[in-house]
Amino acid sequence: MNQLASLAPLLLVLLASLLILLLEAFGRWSQRIWHATVAITALIGSIFLALNWWEKTATYFSGAYIMDNVAIIFMVLFSLAGILVILLSFPYMVDHGFNRGEFFSLLLLAITGLMIMASSEDLVVIFLGLETLSVASYVLAGMKKHDEKSSEAAIKYFLLGSLASAFIVLGLAFFSAQNQSLNLQELTSLATDKLESPLFLAGLCLLLVGFGFKVALVPFHMWTPDVYQGAPTPITAFFSVGPKAAGFLVLFRLFYSIMKIEADVSSIQTILWILSVLTMVVGNLIALRQKNVKRLLAYSSIAHAGYLAIALLSRDGQGLTFYLLAYLFMNVGAFAVLVALSAKGQEFHELEDFNGLGERRPWLAAAMSVFLLSLAGFPPTAGFLAKFYIFSTAVKQGFTSLIIIAVLASLVSVYYYLRVIVHMYMIKEAPALPAMKAEPPLLLIVIFFCLYGVFQLGLFPARLISLIRQALTTSSLP
Amino acid sequence: MNLPIISLITFLPLAGAVILIFIPGERKEWSRLIALLVSVVTFGLSLVLLVNFDASQAEPQLVEKAAWLGYGINYHVGVDGLSLLLILLTTFLFPIAILSGWRYIDQRVKEYHLFLLFLETGIIGVFVALNLFLFYVFWEVMLIPMYFLIGLWGGPRRIYATIKFVLFTMLGSLLMLVAIFVLYSFYYRATGIYSFEFADLTKMILLPKVQTWLFLAFALAFAIKVPMFPFHTWLPDAHVEAPTAGSVILAAVLLKMGVYGFLRLAMPLFPQALAKFTPWLMVLSLIGIIYGGLMALIQKDVKSLVAYSSVSHMGLIMLALFSLNPEAIEGSIIQMVNHGLSTGALFLIVGILYERAHTRLIKDYGGVSRQMPVLSAFFLVCMLSSLGLPGLNGFVGEILCLFGVFQVNKVMAYFAVSTVILAAGYLLWMYQRVMHGPIVHDYVRSFRDLNKREIIYLAPVVLMMFWIGLYPNFFLRKMDTSVNLFLKKIQERQKYFVFHAPPHPLVSVVSESADLSDGLILNNQSEENANNKGIKKP
Repeated sequence: MNQLASLAPLLLVLLASLLILLLEAFGRWSQRIWHATVAITALIGSIFLALNWWEKTATYFSGAYIMDNVAIIFMVLFSLAGILVILLSFPYMVDHGFNRGEFFSLLLLAITGLMIMASSEDLVVIFLGLETLSVASYVLAGMKKHDEKSSEAAIKYFLLGSLASAFIVLGLAFFSAQNQSLNLQELTSLATDKLESPLFLAGLCLLLVGFGFKVALVPFHMWTPDVYQGAPTPITAFFSVGPKAAGFLVLFRLFYSIMKIEADVSSIQTILWILSVLTMVVGNLIALRQKNVKRLLAYSSIAHAGYLAIALLSRDGQGLTFYLLAYLFMNVGAFAVLVALSAKGQEFHELEDFNGLGERRPWLAAAMSVFLLSLAGFPPTAGFLAKFYIFSTAVKQGFTSLIIIAVLASLVSVYYYLRVIVHMYMIKEAPALPAMKAEPPLLLIVIFFCLYGVFQLGLFPARLISLIRQALTTSSLP
Repeated sequence: MNLPIISLITFLPLAGAVILIFIPGERKEWSRLIALLVSVVTFGLSLVLLVNFDASQAEPQLVEKAAWLGYGINYHVGVDGLSLLLILLTTFLFPIAILSGWRYIDQRVKEYHLFLLFLETGIIGVFVALNLFLFYVFWEVMLIPMYFLIGLWGGPRRIYATIKFVLFTMLGSLLMLVAIFVLYSFYYRATGIYSFEFADLTKMILLPKVQTWLFLAFALAFAIKVPMFPFHTWLPDAHVEAPTAGSVILAAVLLKMGVYGFLRLAMPLFPQALAKFTPWLMVLSLIGIIYGGLMALIQKDVKSLVAYSSVSHMGLIMLALFSLNPEAIEGSIIQMVNHGLSTGALFLIVGILYERAHTRLIKDYGGVSRQMPVLSAFFLVCMLSSLGLPGLNGFVGEILCLFGVFQVNKVMAYFAVSTVILAAGYLLWMYQRVMHGPIVHDYVRSFRDLNKREIIYLAPVVLMMFWIGLYPNFFLRKMDTSVNLFLKKIQERQKYFVFHAPPHPLVSVVSESADLSDGLILNNQSEENANNKGIKKP
């Protein structure tokens, strides 16, 4: 009975998702506020149910479902992201003509998928979660049905995403040919000599391709800019935070259990090294040339995946988790500002549209500056500490040259983040924009919450860090 | 008295900035008054600091320490003879900088003062931090307000200048960050304890090979900030484009952060590497002196003339710093203060002229002294202070610096004297062209002389110039013990070299009680410490 209850956070979100579908089909509520309320209530409930299981590790389905502390932290992260995205979408949907209840349903479904990914150590179950997430995401990306770019994003995401899934399935097949179980715990019992066997490495690489696609590692990032730009902005915020966190958690669990067998598997380390360098360098360099802020943030999210890949390499679970949490606040915050810059059916995300924003909407511009500075890694924001932890652990493990590349890459990133600030404050000629409404209160709540998160994690994260460490030790990730 | 005086000085400006957020933007006078009040109170507090400062104590005093993030990251601040004068200089100049923009800054007044106060916190934080992490945080934080100050209230090429400023500084400081990580992990390997404390880290002696790289990373960050030749190219741009207060703070205080970084970190942490690179660094400083002076001679723009003169003066300060004897170090610290006062004052005066004529080109002036006799008197004193006339502050600093350099390297001292000659050349020539001669341009006739506000903020600076020039002992004696300890530590550590097998092949740690004359004693308890503290290796 008790063990079944550990499924509650997951089931609650799933049930809410179905309930919303029913409401949409049979309910006579024309106002979507009910759908949103149900969704948010479910997510908040799920947070509390999950936190209830803190320090009480439970497994279910003979180990396929594990409710450990790490899973709880990530479930809370996903639910938070979900709540923020719903608050963002509510005003946005009305303006952009996709005022439909199934939006919330799909979002909750995607979050269910994320939660499954975070709370399993069985690769097949993880794949199930991934597919639940993906299918919902493809539809979400194309929510703006009358917008060509949105439809293009959906198609692109679908085609490339399916390809990535295929890679994962093939990788799983290779894995199971090698040893019978696909459970990560049992993977550690693999003999050391098998680690370098071609079949195993091929399987691992295929998995890396598949999940690397989800978290946007170069060279599997091609979909990111188009999908990010085309998808409805709140959904882009969700894509940049949720799937990335889940993907990195899965990759971390995978590589951690492999490196537990033998710490220095040089071929795997080399692959990760090259991937992270490529991702940081390419992401940051291409971001330099972007003229659209939404697209710029897409490339910046690629670059951040590069920094996160360093944490995989140095097996730094604490740094990874902290970074993902920090990234949640700063990136959702930045996208919230983008959401605010829209009028009926139109969005204004070109760099020129930001000209003089500091004069027109000082609070919004100030908030955006904070988020950008945090993304660039300036203290005293969360972004600085997040980078600090990942980089310092990596140096401690001897990856000094990698970190030199990383800091130089982040120097490049300073330039393009600052350029947005230049446009907001230092270029006077204002663009000809239609009158925009003042920010709806929901949006302000999101922005303030994210600001709070950015400063809280940047200045006083000691408590959170000790929680993360506690979680990782109990989950036998370091 | 248990007042957390240093924290108060550091964070009072920040509190003022937070208050300013809530002031309505139209109330320009309120913003100005609040900013002025806060900065004056901060200066008052720093005088309390001066009174409580015990000059006989060499180690940092009035220390405040609190756990912050764990893993060696503490909030740890204090003041010693090396930082005291720089803190005072900072708090002294901020009210003046705020007064200087009282009328000229008329757009976004609130934000302007907000960033100035924010900047003050960042700068003071750098000078008081005793924890490397805290130091780095302040070091980086200070970039943000400066970025906005240049970018929002600067001249026509302000965007280029401000981005160049940020990227140059970041390049250095990010590489320094990597070096900090390396240092941190070496300390952990050697002792099993995480620490960012200056006091702990300076006990460690690394192998020369490691020292070389780490020193280069630290030195690059600080050399860009100073700026030393050939890393100075951001400086003229930033100075020329910055608003007056920005230039004043930039020249008077920000550049000193680079020198202070050498003094506090790069030199004591890596003594062997310092010995190895000293000749090169001295040559670069010397080139900076001469190059800066020659460049200043040919400038057409008053502001960039003063900017290049900064390069030259900072060269002398660095040259003295690397001479490593008491006269030279004290000279370079007091010369930092002098340069802050005199160059700050010159920028203020250029700002005053600019407010009247809206041009910075020398040829657009001429004969100004007839219209502005009071200004010309102030200008004369500041200029003479900058070129080192006896009786004024510049002389004291320069003579100490040159004495110090002379003891180490006579040839360099001969060349270094050229700073005085060149300074006399470019400053007097500029003064002559701007202030004397016939009035060529009619608009000069309409210049008003200094008003009360301008006199109020220039007078204290000039007063200080005379005070330091006539009775420098009051300031010099504050730093004696700290400077001696600093030199003693470096010289002792330069002699020694690892000959025991250390816990890690690249490091060794001098234990607290080690008698240095017997060589290095390793901290044998490192492994036990690691176990006791329950720190697990990742």
